[in-house]
Amino acid sequence: MLSFVQPNIDYHALAPELVLVGALLLILLVDLVFEDRARWATSSLAGLGLLAALIPIITLAVNGHDRSMFGGAYVVDNFALVMKAVFLLAGYVVVLMSTDYIGEGDYYEGEYYFMLLSSLFGMLIMASARDLISIFIALETLSIPAYLLAGWRKRDLKGNEASLKYYLLGVFASAVMLYGMSLIFGVTGSTVLTDIRDGLGSGESVPIITVGILFVVIGFAFKVSAVPFHTWAPDTYEGAPTPITAFLSVASKAAGFVALLELVFIAFEGHEEVWKPLFWILAAITMTVGNLIALRQTNVVRMLAYSSVAQAGYMLAPFAIAGDLSGGNVGAIKAVVTYLIIYAAMNLGAFAVVIAVARKTRSAELSSFGGLFEYAPGLAVLLAAFVFALAGIPPLGGWYAKLAILNVLIDASTPWATVLAVVVAVNSVIALFYYASVAREMLMRPVADGDRTPVTIPASLAASIGLCAVSTIAIGVAPNLIARFSDLAHFVS
Amino acid sequence: MSEFLRAYLTVAVFAAFAGLLIAGVLGLSRLIRPNRPTPQKLLTYESGVDPVGSGFSQSQVRYYIFALLFVMFDVEAVFIFPWAMRLELYQVFGLVEMAVFIVILVFGLVYAWRKGVLRWV
Amino acid sequence: MLINQFLLLGAALFCIGVYGVLARKNGVLVLMSIELILNAVNINLLAFGAMHQGPAAITGQVFALFIITVAAAEVGVGLAIVLLIYRNRTSVDLSEVDLMKG
Repeated sequence: MLSFVQPNIDYHALAPELVLVGALLLILLVDLVFEDRARWATSSLAGLGLLAALIPIITLAVNGHDRSMFGGAYVVDNFALVMKAVFLLAGYVVVLMSTDYIGEGDYYEGEYYFMLLSSLFGMLIMASARDLISIFIALETLSIPAYLLAGWRKRDLKGNEASLKYYLLGVFASAVMLYGMSLIFGVTGSTVLTDIRDGLGSGESVPIITVGILFVVIGFAFKVSAVPFHTWAPDTYEGAPTPITAFLSVASKAAGFVALLELVFIAFEGHEEVWKPLFWILAAITMTVGNLIALRQTNVVRMLAYSSVAQAGYMLAPFAIAGDLSGGNVGAIKAVVTYLIIYAAMNLGAFAVVIAVARKTRSAELSSFGGLFEYAPGLAVLLAAFVFALAGIPPLGGWYAKLAILNVLIDASTPWATVLAVVVAVNSVIALFYYASVAREMLMRPVADGDRTPVTIPASLAASIGLCAVSTIAIGVAPNLIARFSDLAHFVS
Repeated sequence: MSEFLRAYLTVAVFAAFAGLLIAGVLGLSRLIRPNRPTPQKLLTYESGVDPVGSGFSQSQVRYYIFALLFVMFDVEAVFIFPWAMRLELYQVFGLVEMAVFIVILVFGLVYAWRKGVLRWV
Repeated sequence: MLINQFLLLGAALFCIGVYGVLARKNGVLVLMSIELILNAVNINLLAFGAMHQGPAAITGQVFALFIITVAAAEVGVGLAIVLLIYRNRTSVDLSEVDLMKG
């Protein structure tokens, strides 16, 4: 008979999650008790809840101790804190974007914010999960609300389709990933990542280990929409409400990368020969295919969807050179985290401007952006800034992200890493064409329907655009800001 | 043959014996019973009265929501059973944790109730 | 104890499930195929847990319990989505859901 030892629960370490759960239950209650009278308040509650959850993160960061609970299954270290802050801030910007979008449409409002916060709750757990079971639970907690949010436009056939495709591929991927996890559990007899690393050892991979690692990585490749597992992404992004598209392409993708970082650099550390070639191929074809298909898109949301597929390719590149760096894998982790943070600011900003323009034009077709500079010069300049930041043009934030990736690739100084660096560079040039086409449309082309009334932007949407713009430019001008955060972000393992 | 598979051999012999027994009894009754087919004997048996309509009918889609609610709360019981088995071992800590778990579940039930899902219309 | 039989059963279920997901056109049958994969995982976890014995056996069982509950939640959401599509299109044939071609 096993005896029971009461686990030591560190409530300070759990405070961000507890605050978030409190906020989402409060939203549910307010929605149920007051119904239509207080539905407008749910969005403010969601925003305040997210900001309140940031407070314990700051106190934990000031405190500075790494905390570990449940036999090492749940760890609050600097990596977890940085990623949690990114998730909460990205979630806050999405709430700002959604406030008017959801309030004005025919949508369920209370449930929308409830689902959004539930999904963010899953992401917070993911940042701390150091155990296969907690990673699985976090993945499902963040995915299941996202499946529903993708189909939030209930009567719209495209919305249904977006939700269905996302759901089917997501569930299939997590089932495949679970099968891989079961094999890895079988080999090592443990689900804690550090025990798995010790159990797998670093010798020759027997087939069961290879298959297990392969399945787990492929499961998360779906989540980060790496080619050839990206087919759901453009359709889901087009059919989902645009704030949710921004949420999926930033927060959900970041959560996938967090899980990959944890699994690959802690649990599978000793078996590079299995996953390094896999990541090399994934990274190279993801950025190339994403960029080439993006060139042909005539819808800005679909174009940004393929662009985000390509961006995932850049972020996969540092995985392919692990073990070749002089300073260990920490450099690769830092590069990915840096890219994730900057990508979040740029991409959320681009989607926020698309939402603002679509308030007037009711369309996301590239042609509907024609002549935007004439009637809304501010928005046009900002959208141009965000897409050029995504393209990696200094002094906007994106260049530092690209530099971080290229730096580790060159630092690895193996032939394969150099080839991958060339692929990244060539892709950045290809990407410039379609990013520039948006700017050309806004500056050079005539107004599509001749309607030159200015675009009205509600305050919260303006705030979200402002936040993204300020951080994109600030990072580009003073990259030391971001370098300090990503320096913190490595595991204690 | 290993010990493990030999254990299954018993099962196979048992299954074969059961099959033979059923075939023997049914075959015997077929040999000795009279055979007079009538169309009435082919009708679906519906508690003795004549059947109405076809045998195929779709269930109402409204059942879905009840089935879903049942499944949701049913599987959550998976976590309650192991806890209940060793209740005295976990003491106050276990009680508080389970209370938190059940309160969050109740939120779901309250939601369903306020949305009028529990009423049959 | 021999673990091969359980792993073979798990692998067979997994393959049937993957085939079902890829080949079936009916939304409800695709959901059932996904359930098959998840049950294959559960069989693997329980068999491996029993093989390792001690705390690992409990870990395997706990993992399986979590998968059972999460699978129920997933299928609930999936059925809701399929139902929504049925309401808007009066069909659950997935090959007809192709307004956008990724």
